[in-house]
Amino acid sequence: MASARTTAGQVSGAAGPLLPGADDSALELGSVRAGRVRRPPVLPSWVLKVVMAVSGIVFALYVLVHMIGNLKVFTGVDHFNEYAHWLRTVLQPFLPYEGLLWIVRAVLLGCLVAHVGAAAVLWSRGRKSRGAHRHKGLGLRNFTARTMLVTGIVLLGFVVFHVLDLTTGTAGAASASFRPATVDQAHAYENLVASFQRPVAAAFYLVAMIALFLHLAHGLWTVVSDLGATGRRLRAVGYAVAGAVALAVMLGNIIIPISVLSGLLS
Amino acid sequence: MRLVIEVWRQDTPADSGRYETHTVDDATPEMSVLELLDRLNDQLVEEGLEPVAFESDCREGICGACGVTVDGSPHGPQRNTPSCHQRLAGYADGQRIRLEPLRSAAFPVIRDLVVDRSALDRIITAGGHVAIAAGTAPDADSLLVPHERAERALDMAACIGCGACVAACPNGAAHLFVGSKLTHLSLLPTGRQQRGKRARAMLFEMEQDFGPCSLYGECSRVCPANIPLTAIAAVNKEGLRSFFRHKDD
Repeated sequence: MASARTTAGQVSGAAGPLLPGADDSALELGSVRAGRVRRPPVLPSWVLKVVMAVSGIVFALYVLVHMIGNLKVFTGVDHFNEYAHWLRTVLQPFLPYEGLLWIVRAVLLGCLVAHVGAAAVLWSRGRKSRGAHRHKGLGLRNFTARTMLVTGIVLLGFVVFHVLDLTTGTAGAASASFRPATVDQAHAYENLVASFQRPVAAAFYLVAMIALFLHLAHGLWTVVSDLGATGRRLRAVGYAVAGAVALAVMLGNIIIPISVLSGLLS
Repeated sequence: MRLVIEVWRQDTPADSGRYETHTVDDATPEMSVLELLDRLNDQLVEEGLEPVAFESDCREGICGACGVTVDGSPHGPQRNTPSCHQRLAGYADGQRIRLEPLRSAAFPVIRDLVVDRSALDRIITAGGHVAIAAGTAPDADSLLVPHERAERALDMAACIGCGACVAACPNGAAHLFVGSKLTHLSLLPTGRQQRGKRARAMLFEMEQDFGPCSLYGECSRVCPANIPLTAIAAVNKEGLRSFFRHKDD
């Protein structure tokens, strides 16, 4: 090397530059800067990923139970409406009317805030760490991973519509014949059929269920890693369960609007 | 074989950088990516131009010094193969080949294809080593390590620290690198004694430069040491373990 190092460790340029136009000290020391991409975060990324994994498991269990409940629609109008009424009166008198529903809603809302908040922070950290040169040309092999943000936003939009349509019955989202549940009786069957008889609502449901499949399939597989499963058998089981749950939830839900549109349910 | 090379040129870390196009007429299929760069540099020197700066050392896939991005893929298009072993057999006469440095905000470019990978060194400094008084060399068979465990530790110890996993990750995460070190050292008797402390120190350091893992799986596709994706899970496993256990080991 043509340069000599000073006592401070700096490269002196007295002997002339090593390479024309080059940063000599960077070349000599193999180091550009001591600065970091970010300061030590209060909530490290791996903790946020665990938060996403735990809230994601809550969502997955919820949609699985929700799907199984939905399938009761095939047991007939009375049975389905009784089930809807039971959900409101279960555990009475230990819980007030709709007590369990409100507990579930509170838990889900808490998970939603945590899940979306953590996702936003992690997304921005990922972009910062990657830098200006994005990784392009990723094939179909990680399609689900790449589309997590998109499928997540579709699902968020769907959840808002779904609540307005079948829970609150807000005009515009709900069908014209929507009847809210009373203390004695629910009209879930009639509301469901009326909603899915609108092709646009049924199509949005279909799109949302495909998004849910993609999101769950990758999300549940990520849970396996984020909760630290390193054993070969455990990972294989986790991979299979992730795919099976995602597929079951999608198929179980999708046959309902198809049955309504084909006249099987009316 | 004639190859049109688009190569990244950047004089200083602060420079914005640009692609330069050159043609090498006498490339051969058995040449490695690095030998193509050697040939290009011979040509540039003959023409009185500045040669392309790039890193390489052993050229047999064990040192981890080389690492360029070839057509968007760290190290090159062949899976789990270092740049020095990436041959040009897959390229046809007249084809374009794009060479750029390993891309990540944690790896600033020093010059042309040379990047500063000290962010990885900082993680190793923080905890990627065994720092206990181990005494003199123990008697044979006094510290028993089951064969299966030794093999697993060796598989993870195969990481050569080239940084391709980081450059392959759309999030700029270093989980494969950190996970392989954490697993390797947690499996062996001396390394185990600092298992918790090491995890905390390495994760703290990692968080400051590298991104989160979204399980794209790109890292283990490019890793020249064939580190499996399981290493990624070890990052959270060791993180959770050290958090709940709250001890040095």
